[in-house]
Amino acid sequence: MLRFFKGFGLLSVVLLGVVTVPVQAAGDLLVAPTRVVLDGSRGTEVVLNNIGAEPATYRISLEIKRMTAVGGLDEIAEENATPAERTALGMIAFSPRRVTLPPNQPQVIRVGVRIPEGTPPGEYRAHMLFRAVPDAAAAVAADAAKPAATGVSIALIPIYGITIPVIVRVGDLGAEAVIGDAWVAETPDGPAFNFGLTRTGNRSVYGDIEVTRPGANEPLLRARGIAVYPEVGAREVSLRVPPELAAKLKGPVRIRYTEDREVGGGTIDEAERVVK
Amino acid sequence: MRKFGMKRAIVGAAIAALALNAPAAHAASATGTATAKILRQITLTNISALQYATIISGASASTVAVSTAGVRTCGASLSCLGTATAASFNVDGTEGAVVLVGGDSSVSLAGSLGGTMTSSLTYSAANITLGATGGSFQVGGTLSVGANQAAGDYTGTFNVTADYQ
Repeated sequence: MLRFFKGFGLLSVVLLGVVTVPVQAAGDLLVAPTRVVLDGSRGTEVVLNNIGAEPATYRISLEIKRMTAVGGLDEIAEENATPAERTALGMIAFSPRRVTLPPNQPQVIRVGVRIPEGTPPGEYRAHMLFRAVPDAAAAVAADAAKPAATGVSIALIPIYGITIPVIVRVGDLGAEAVIGDAWVAETPDGPAFNFGLTRTGNRSVYGDIEVTRPGANEPLLRARGIAVYPEVGAREVSLRVPPELAAKLKGPVRIRYTEDREVGGGTIDEAERVVK
Repeated sequence: MRKFGMKRAIVGAAIAALALNAPAAHAASATGTATAKILRQITLTNISALQYATIISGASASTVAVSTAGVRTCGASLSCLGTATAASFNVDGTEGAVVLVGGDSSVSLAGSLGGTMTSSLTYSAANITLGATGGSFQVGGTLSVGANQAAGDYTGTFNVTADYQ
């Protein structure tokens, strides 16, 4: 009898290891467009689609994020928000805030904006977060009958989502950006191409980067959707590149920062740099 | 895989046309012009979970690490069983788009028979530049296991986001 239990205990440890492997959380998602800019006269629509294989419930919310000097976006708790950030949260309205979607079912999220009278000119911004609500059933119930004598099995469930910026511009705003030094550096995750961007003015700048070798037609590197937000005067842009490209990028290059193609694609700044 | 990608793109386009309520759809035009605006999209898909698999705790406290490449390092005094994996996410969208990725730096786990553990979390990158077939990032971590950690099934949740700037 004792031997039987011993055997069972051993077996169950092995079984646990096998059984707990596929903890696949539902909640794969698609969001379009990836950036919203409003001038206050009219709203817009954002599409959310469940691209997973299971039905999922998504929650939509507004978050405050601040850009860092190295180009990250730090999440800011609402109690630490500045008055301007609170104003942004107050002027953006959206619906619905929670939706359950079967697989491959899109849902339109209406986004409206109301600018209170007397709002000072400026750029107001919040980040719209789309995220699946975790399954309540995912929690493992206590089961004393399970003879996991010495084994500890672990399941970590990611709650994952997408954020897109929702930008409201009040008044006549302008901004410029200047490209700084460029260099290639080693990071723990491989080489990266880095350069500085300095911004002036009272709104963000946003656009695409192209790095070209003088005389060559095809760019060496293309990166789309690089922003410098008003809360930072300058940021570093760090783009991981394969080692062979990192070697090619060293030397004289032309870096071009252009506006988004959807707003004309004009040049924001262009600079010749020797990449160290 | 490729086929799925195509399907998604077409679905996206169809929704975009609907969502924007294209004026041409209302016009009774004899020439029958069709317009559709394709919106830029981003998708986030969870490919694998962060799995430490099964651990048998020992007499002294120790750690188990799973690298972002999915390689497990089992601390002294512990026995590790099963297959460990790093969490992996696929991101798809406009080619060349730079997407910021990240999330919680630690997670606490509660055991089914009592007891708690914590795990630190590490991300393979702070941002990814999407290629023609999108991009991916991984999440690894280091789990702190107590001396004679209570047995059971431990679960915890952590937040991960892909941010457009």
